[in-house]
Amino acid sequence: MAAIPVETARVSPSGVPQARWPAGRLVPAVLLAPSLLFLAVFFALPALTLVLYSIMTQAADGTVGLPLTLAHYQHFFTIPVYSRVLLTTLRISLWTTVVAALLAYPVALVMVRSPPFLRQAITMIVIAPLIVSVVVRTYGWQLILGNGPTGILNWLLLSTGLAKKPVTLLYSETAVVIGSLHVFFPMMVLPVASALGRIDPRLEDAARTLGATAWRSFRRITLPLSLPGLAVGCTLVFSLTAGSFVTPAILGGTGAQMLGMLVDQQILVVYDWPFGATVASVLVAIVLAVNIVSMRILDRRRSVHVR
Amino acid sequence: MSTELRSPLAWLLLPVTGLVMVFILAPLVVTVAMSISDSPYVVFPPRGFTLGWYAKILQDPDFQASLWFSTMLALGATAGALLLGVPAAFAVARHEFLGRGAAAAALLSPLVFPALITGVALLQLFATIRSNNTPLNMLIAHVLVTAPYVVRTVTASLTLADTTLEDAARTLGAGRWRVFRRITAPQIAPGLAAGALFAFMVSFDNFPISLWLADAQHNPIPLLVFQLIGNVFSPAIAAMSTLMILFAMAVVIVLERVGGLRRAMAM
Repeated sequence: MAAIPVETARVSPSGVPQARWPAGRLVPAVLLAPSLLFLAVFFALPALTLVLYSIMTQAADGTVGLPLTLAHYQHFFTIPVYSRVLLTTLRISLWTTVVAALLAYPVALVMVRSPPFLRQAITMIVIAPLIVSVVVRTYGWQLILGNGPTGILNWLLLSTGLAKKPVTLLYSETAVVIGSLHVFFPMMVLPVASALGRIDPRLEDAARTLGATAWRSFRRITLPLSLPGLAVGCTLVFSLTAGSFVTPAILGGTGAQMLGMLVDQQILVVYDWPFGATVASVLVAIVLAVNIVSMRILDRRRSVHVR
Repeated sequence: MSTELRSPLAWLLLPVTGLVMVFILAPLVVTVAMSISDSPYVVFPPRGFTLGWYAKILQDPDFQASLWFSTMLALGATAGALLLGVPAAFAVARHEFLGRGAAAAALLSPLVFPALITGVALLQLFATIRSNNTPLNMLIAHVLVTAPYVVRTVTASLTLADTTLEDAARTLGAGRWRVFRRITAPQIAPGLAAGALFAFMVSFDNFPISLWLADAQHNPIPLLVFQLIGNVFSPAIAAMSTLMILFAMAVVIVLERVGGLRRAMAM
């Protein structure tokens, strides 16, 4: 046998074992280079160009170039048709986030604290739809929410006598909120469940032993400790809803136009690249702002806990 | 079971959870029920029973073309995502270097960015460089959105893998490649399989990227269904949707077998 390498793992401060692979610094660079190059060319570059397009001018022949202008932003924020789309998007995203949080919390609690069989069943039901195409799931909602007596919900309401005449839900903001709720629900349940799962059950047992009611121990222990998970869930659901296209296109139609549909319309129908890029940039700004604010809140909480 | 599920709060928690489960399953169940309805347009409750809609769509040339294209695209995207994602995951999980956190964030960044906007940005790029090869453009776009899923699952399984086993093998004289093949690979195989399967489904289901880049000859299934929803009112759409639901359910079961759904999602 050849010389035995007695290279024990040196563990760096962050806990990542070092010197596992040869030639130290070069290896991660080589492993990462293809991915990072790919991201630079096909993600960062086009995204930045798109933002740049939003302050450029489109010539009559369709080419986009100088002069630089903020006119498209002014256009977007001052013309009521467009600012209404922005408000609709924010309203639908906010409602979806709030309702998702209220419904996901109980589900996550039950998921984390049930016996294994029930936990697995709930996890499956929550996650499985994620793998079904959004188009298919939204089609299901179109069948359920259909206006007039042919809609399934209306059929149920009429045949049970809960309603005298059909309710009108399809092509409204409510329909889009319901559809978005269904599409993005797992994004709320999973982070909340994972935060709840990390809470030491002895903390609550201690509170109960010391005489706290179930409600009080929930309010003072479980809820505060699960807030980071809730924050992550809210950020995900809000950003994803704000950027959605399929659900508002099928369930909202002209009754609930959102930013994504406006981008689609401006670029694929009107061929107005700079204005489409402007709407896209506004959407990206909203998503980034929500993510940054939530990251700040989470960081501050963490540092408070350390102290 | 701990405190809350035994307390009076359970009376509130369990019914809410039950109703949410109904809410989640309702649109899927309804779609399946409609697909076997023996009537020329969608009416509820479904009338009679027929598998005729399935026969009809399976013979439909548009559906066949879309199915073929979606499958090829998803296979290509998965291969690309693995080629890019697995080495990157190794770098992030097994190496300490300056900017590791930034690299990890960059690798996952396409997941945070609105996919619809990634699609427009790519359309603009491909138009500028006059790249008219639709399948290639779509492949690049799909690799971009599937690779982060591979990075996430493989990083997770590399972090979970027992590195002391690798050290032991090295100490006992195994070469680096052999350690990888005999010790590391088997440990991360479930994560790798889950990542690949997930990448396949993400590409197969993708709408917001394909929307911008597809053309009439290269029309993936989700786009086809979307176009039909606006134009056709027959249970054929329900049959098409049901096939997609059944396919997704099969994948869910395999994912669960392979290494747990939640781990595949790395959440």
